[in-house]
Amino acid sequence: MSKSSPRRFAGRSTGTVTVIEAKVHRSSARNARMAFILTAVIVGLLAAVVAASSIHPILAVIVGALIGVPTGGLVWLLVRIWPVIRLLWWWTPETILGVVLLTAWVQLANHTPTVVTLIVVALVVGVPAAIRPVRRQVVAWGWCLVVRHRLRVCFAQFIIANQSGSLPLILWARPTPVGERVWVYLRPGLSAKDLEGRLDKIAVTCHASTVLIERASENNAAYLRFDIKRREVLTAHVGSPLVDVIDPTAPVSASPLTVPTALDLPDIDMPTVTLPTQGKPAGKKPAATTTANGSKPAASSASSVEDDDTSDWI
Amino acid sequence: MTTTIPTTAEAVPVGPGLSMFDPIFIGIDEFGQPVYLDVIYRNLLTAGEPGGGKSGLINNICGHAALCDNTRLVLFDAKLVELGPWRDLADAFIGPDIDQGIDVLRRLLVVATNRYAWLLANRRRKLADGDGMSVIVTIIDELAMFSTVLGTKAQQEEFSTLLRGLVSLGRACGMPVVAATQRPSWDIIPASLRDLFGYRAAFRCTSLNSSNIILGQGWAEQGYTASDISPTNQGAAYLLAEGGVPRRIKAAYLTDTDIYNIADYAAWTRRPTISTPTVNPTEWEMAA
Ligand SMILES: Nc1ncnc2c1ncn2[C@@H]1O[C@H](COP(=O)(O)OP(=O)(O)OP(=O)(O)O)[C@@H](O)[C@H]1O
Ligand SMILES: [Mg+2]
Repeated sequence: MSKSSPRRFAGRSTGTVTVIEAKVHRSSARNARMAFILTAVIVGLLAAVVAASSIHPILAVIVGALIGVPTGGLVWLLVRIWPVIRLLWWWTPETILGVVLLTAWVQLANHTPTVVTLIVVALVVGVPAAIRPVRRQVVAWGWCLVVRHRLRVCFAQFIIANQSGSLPLILWARPTPVGERVWVYLRPGLSAKDLEGRLDKIAVTCHASTVLIERASENNAAYLRFDIKRREVLTAHVGSPLVDVIDPTAPVSASPLTVPTALDLPDIDMPTVTLPTQGKPAGKKPAATTTANGSKPAASSASSVEDDDTSDWI
Repeated sequence: MTTTIPTTAEAVPVGPGLSMFDPIFIGIDEFGQPVYLDVIYRNLLTAGEPGGGKSGLINNICGHAALCDNTRLVLFDAKLVELGPWRDLADAFIGPDIDQGIDVLRRLLVVATNRYAWLLANRRRKLADGDGMSVIVTIIDELAMFSTVLGTKAQQEEFSTLLRGLVSLGRACGMPVVAATQRPSWDIIPASLRDLFGYRAAFRCTSLNSSNIILGQGWAEQGYTASDISPTNQGAAYLLAEGGVPRRIKAAYLTDTDIYNIADYAAWTRRPTISTPTVNPTEWEMAA
């Protein structure tokens, strides 16, 4: 298979996915080999140069090789197992959480009688489950863990990255009143614009209603913020803090008003129909209509008004 | 000024110490975060269909301004009830009377010009917090009433021209303008006036085109259109302010009771300066 063919077919058939995988694998092996050679040569040479200042050059070369080759081997190993390390890193929060919980459970079970163990567990699980704000917090942070993995699935599955297949760094996440906010550091090959066209797909993958992307830093285009929305807050009733700074028992202040008595249609005689303090009672109506319809009386259809509205802006 | 404030009130009310130079809380954004607006150096135009919540937003700003130290209110409300609660606090409250409105705008323009002369004499270009000069907030509800309905055509044009002058001059001399109207298209408000408002709040509209007229050409095509706000979700809007991209917000809402409570309290704290403007200096002298 030629080097460029898999990429050329990438968009057409599903079978090519495995081809890309294979290519990534192969390049991983090649990368490891290259890393081994480079590290061995560079470290070896440096070691030899340093050693040459105190021992015979030929001995120094041997010492250099002895130091360079094992170092290169280490680097080769690191590059080869990098996918595994990356996977472990992705699951670090869950792993740590699991280890801590399990340790606590084992310690508890070993050092206390069964009844006490059960009571403690019931308290630890039951109290957050019963108290609503605590439960909400726990669930919200749980979603933060989930959403980081879902975002990674997005990047790996349908957002085509660079040739070497490196994924954006998904940094930390934190709950917001409507969902989660995740900070992401893009790698070369992606931009915020690329992602903006796929927000709907990202929302689907994250089981959310919508996703918004914003730059998290004015100076660095790679640093993005994903806002994942699962709940709508804009329908809530928002109070004003002004209500809290005042003293509602303040004395009533109201200047006297003259209230008109003609509050019904028959109360108003024909000739006196005027809007309050209006310049010209008779000439007002036509004036208002001409203004409202615009100064182009003949061809003022709805479409021409719209045209004018828009042309207005240019 | 005629007020029925009991002059025998024993407690000395303490103002909440707000300032117009503080950001004004106007609601929350779609992430539930509070949204603040710096009205002092910007003019705000709110627009949207009837019942969208424009007057609600304007009342928030009005309430903040009323509780602010050293702040004057000039209110235009042809509908009387929206800004009416603040009428005793305002230096001018204009009902459906365009003549009065024109007079007040003329006075404001003279003040603005004088302030620039003062700034020039003080080698400055912009009013700042510590200048001790009052902030004069002009709030207009239903701008279209003044620009298309009340008065003669000549008066309406004069009103628009004067307002244009105030909006373009007022920014740096502490005289911001906040206006609300239902649809700011060219036949209702001259485009030359509309374009001077730096901040826009688009409440629900019925069409993409109306939303574009409020927020600016091209936003609807990018997905920022006030026509996708649900008609039952009053008070939700797109706000185009800092950041340069419209944000979905929900305006805070003051009930009638809240508004009258705030107005009463503000009148109470402002009492010394309202009833007898000379009390304050003598009080300070006595204290000193
Ligand atoms: N922020 C808000 N939250 C909840 N309800 C609101 C909010 N703003 C407005 N409303 C509701 O919508 C109604 C109409 O609001 P408002 O009077 O502000 O509309 P408007 O846009 O000024 O209408 P008009 O163009 O007729 O003056 C209010 O009576 C209130 O019940
Ligand atoms: Mg209104």
